[in-house]
Amino acid sequence: MARDDLAFLSAVETAEAIATKQVSPVDVVQAYLARIDRLDGRLHAYITVLRDDALAEARQAEQALRRGDALRPLFGVPIAVKDQFWTKGILTTNGSRVYRDFVPSEDATIVTRLKQAGAVLLGKLNLSELAMGGTQQPPYGIPRNPWDLERTPGESSSGSGVALAAHLCAASVGEDTGGSGRGPASCCSVVGLRPTFTRVSRYGMTPMCWFTDAAAPMTKTVRDCALVLGAIAGYDAQDPSTSRQPVPDYTAPLGQSIRGVRVGLIRELQEHDDMHPEVRQAVYDALGVLRQLGAEVQEISIPLVALAGAIFVGIADTEGAGARDEILRHRAADLDPASRTRLQAAALVPAKVYNRAMKARVLLRQQCMQALQQVDVLVSATMPHPPPKHSALTAPFRGAEDVRSRFFFRRAYTGCYPLAALPAISIPGGFTSDQLPIGLQLGARPFAEATLLQVAHAYEQATPWHARRAPGIEG
Amino acid sequence: MALSKEDRVRELARLVDIPIMESEIAEVADRFDSLLQELARLTSLDLADIQPVTIFPEEA
Repeated sequence: MARDDLAFLSAVETAEAIATKQVSPVDVVQAYLARIDRLDGRLHAYITVLRDDALAEARQAEQALRRGDALRPLFGVPIAVKDQFWTKGILTTNGSRVYRDFVPSEDATIVTRLKQAGAVLLGKLNLSELAMGGTQQPPYGIPRNPWDLERTPGESSSGSGVALAAHLCAASVGEDTGGSGRGPASCCSVVGLRPTFTRVSRYGMTPMCWFTDAAAPMTKTVRDCALVLGAIAGYDAQDPSTSRQPVPDYTAPLGQSIRGVRVGLIRELQEHDDMHPEVRQAVYDALGVLRQLGAEVQEISIPLVALAGAIFVGIADTEGAGARDEILRHRAADLDPASRTRLQAAALVPAKVYNRAMKARVLLRQQCMQALQQVDVLVSATMPHPPPKHSALTAPFRGAEDVRSRFFFRRAYTGCYPLAALPAISIPGGFTSDQLPIGLQLGARPFAEATLLQVAHAYEQATPWHARRAPGIEG
Repeated sequence: MALSKEDRVRELARLVDIPIMESEIAEVADRFDSLLQELARLTSLDLADIQPVTIFPEEA
């Protein structure tokens, strides 16, 4: 296999090729480094590339292979993480000038667990400032969508989406507060999973909203996602909110039939007037595929979901402003203008309004759980439109109506799951006639990640979308 | 006399000790206004018997 081809393997394929000594872990890391050298000057997926450390880890892996050491699930697999996760002795910027000198003294738990699973840490990935989205002047470069360089790769785990779509890492862990993992997955035609809130430790993950933030495996395939989730999930004494429920083998149900699985299309999201017609059609087509696979498809109503974007922003931004009070009072000038004004506005929200949003969140959760009595899996588009142009996102706001249309509507699609504390996954769901990616989103009951992955895998294997390569970035 | 939306933001910012640049007052006011308008849509919901929680018991 040519060295450059190694970078096109999935994480599972990479681990298998290394375990069977078809390829060397050093060759794999070098393949990714060569692509990063060639492409990332334009794509801006990485903030920090750990060239020497990754090569050293790969050489150690090679020696372990020669010794015949027991292999671990991600042995030798080059993984990059969003620059929101602490890494011991390594710059962790959170995508902000505020943290331009922040070098943590310890690893985030997910970083520790990835290493324990044998992964090689390849680098730290770009993100919207403070994992919020809407950054107008990203201090570490504008991440470019490999499918169309003029389009956004989604927010806020933008670097993770770009790096996977351009094959600049084998797998990634992003973060998902209200869609920050699933949105970029949708925009870049890769897989992004938001687990149940308490499933994965958040220790060492810089917070936005402490009760909706979630570490999010982002991968090239659904099987990779199952593997990465299994590596990072589980109780962590350093994050007391993590669940003690045992972690299943998430790869076990992959390949099993989905005959009889009950699938519910969320009517309020599918029928929204502002939804892009080709995205709507792609969701209908996906339901057809699921039907052919034996799923029982029906429409389902979650009335409050249409307001999920507003509820989410009302809660998450207000929490985010509270968490960054020191920055807002003393270092606001270091923030991107869009981050600054967004947080400043959220800091002014009256307690009565916040309390109402928190109550509405509980009502939304009740409606979602009622829907999940009738079906096993909820379905919608991940985003109501294809990835917009950078310029559409970074343009200054023109009044309150502009804020509303650009800010709240799209967040209903991904925001409903973190508000309801339910797991959800975005998988490649097709392309528009302009060859722009469309994401298909599936959601399920608490801790039903295995069901999500089973259905997602069945759909993935029945469709060609995940196998497409982004055009035009190799030149 | 009612405050303008900009003056309302100035006063709230003063109360919570958040400095805002004068050149950005209008944008903060637009964002704040749109957020309150969106959240005002929740006033039609019957939330009287609902207690807000952060982590749901099924997640333990």
